[in-house]
Amino acid sequence: MKVNLQKEIEELNKIVEWFESSDFDVNEAIEKYKSAEKLAKKINSDLKQLKNEVTVLEENFEKD
Amino acid sequence: MKDQVLTVSDFIALTNQTLEYAYPTVTIEGEINSFKVNSGKYVFFDLKDNESSINCFMTIWQLRNPIQDGMKVIVVGTPKLTKWGKFSLTVRNVSPSGEGAIKKSFEILKAKLTAEGLFDESRKRSIPYPPTSIAVISSIQSAGYIDFVTILNERWGGVKILTANVQVQGASAADQIIRALRHLNSLSDSPEVIAILRGGGSAEDLSVFNDELLVREIAISRIPVLVGVGHEIDESLADLAADVRASTPSNAAQILVPNRFDAMRNVEYRIESIRNIMSGRIDYIISENNKILSGILNKIALRLENLENKISSLTSILNAFNPKKVLERGYAIITGKININESISIRTDKNNIKAIIKEIL
Repeated sequence: MKVNLQKEIEELNKIVEWFESSDFDVNEAIEKYKSAEKLAKKINSDLKQLKNEVTVLEENFEKD
Repeated sequence: MKDQVLTVSDFIALTNQTLEYAYPTVTIEGEINSFKVNSGKYVFFDLKDNESSINCFMTIWQLRNPIQDGMKVIVVGTPKLTKWGKFSLTVRNVSPSGEGAIKKSFEILKAKLTAEGLFDESRKRSIPYPPTSIAVISSIQSAGYIDFVTILNERWGGVKILTANVQVQGASAADQIIRALRHLNSLSDSPEVIAILRGGGSAEDLSVFNDELLVREIAISRIPVLVGVGHEIDESLADLAADVRASTPSNAAQILVPNRFDAMRNVEYRIESIRNIMSGRIDYIISENNKILSGILNKIALRLENLENKISSLTSILNAFNPKKVLERGYAIITGKININESISIRTDKNNIKAIIKEIL
């Protein structure tokens, strides 16, 4: 499964923004809090596990 | 050969063949003298030391660093006898040699490129943070590249790193880096940033990053460029032309991606902040509800007090008209016909009395 860490972080930021806005409803807040907690666990797990992918180009740059 | 009669042209050709065989490439260090550019294309100068001097020729396009009379340089070229019988060196590369010359050449080129606006802050572009793809131009065996990848892996994950393996020092390094830059800029699946990396070294080692063509190529790169060359005290023209400058390859990794442990702490902090906001909002709602409730209770209490007062007042009025209360004040109630010798009933506070009317006045 391809992990899009950046997208997950953006999603979490949106939830935080919602909480910071004046548009607050207790029932909705509880639901949003639950999804934020779930998302945070996923992000932290991804952050621990994600590896970079290094590819060395086959091109030879010594000559034109 | 002594019996063979040659034409002058044949002799010159034979000499050149011999030179080419014996000295295909020579590298000479000397001082520039009588430097001049003809027709904006052809460069002539003499290379000399304390005792000797040799004529040198090259094209302006091969001149990658500014040079001037009195400057100590290293020249790479091929010796040649011209058709006029003049011995000269056809130069492929000339680079300043020694701290003084390198510094002077650096300052001349810096002034020229600054005047052209190549280093203007307004040209700098920002790099996506953190990027999902990074192209690296470096030598994969160099300590700088290994440090970069190690630190990048420690700090962050999920990044595609595309490495162009090039020489980062020596005569052909600048051209190799230029080719790699062009290649990466031509990719259809473009990386988000190009990082040109090299560890520390001497001023001569790092002089490749002051190559005019390389500096110009960095400035025109379609993809934003980060240059992380040398140690913190070194500054190259490539640094100045880059969108972002890192002091070392390790610093480049630190600039490009966040630290995953900081990010994890930040995620925890965000959840904590949501919790605080939520708790604050709920406390506020409770406090507002309590205020409303308290208002209602106050109103009810006021109403009850009013009712109590009213009841008390009515009770007072009722008491005032209560016959028993009147009797208590000493009055009496007399019932019966008012006639002489008629029996009547008298009710006082304490007694019920039967009486006979004796006289009516």
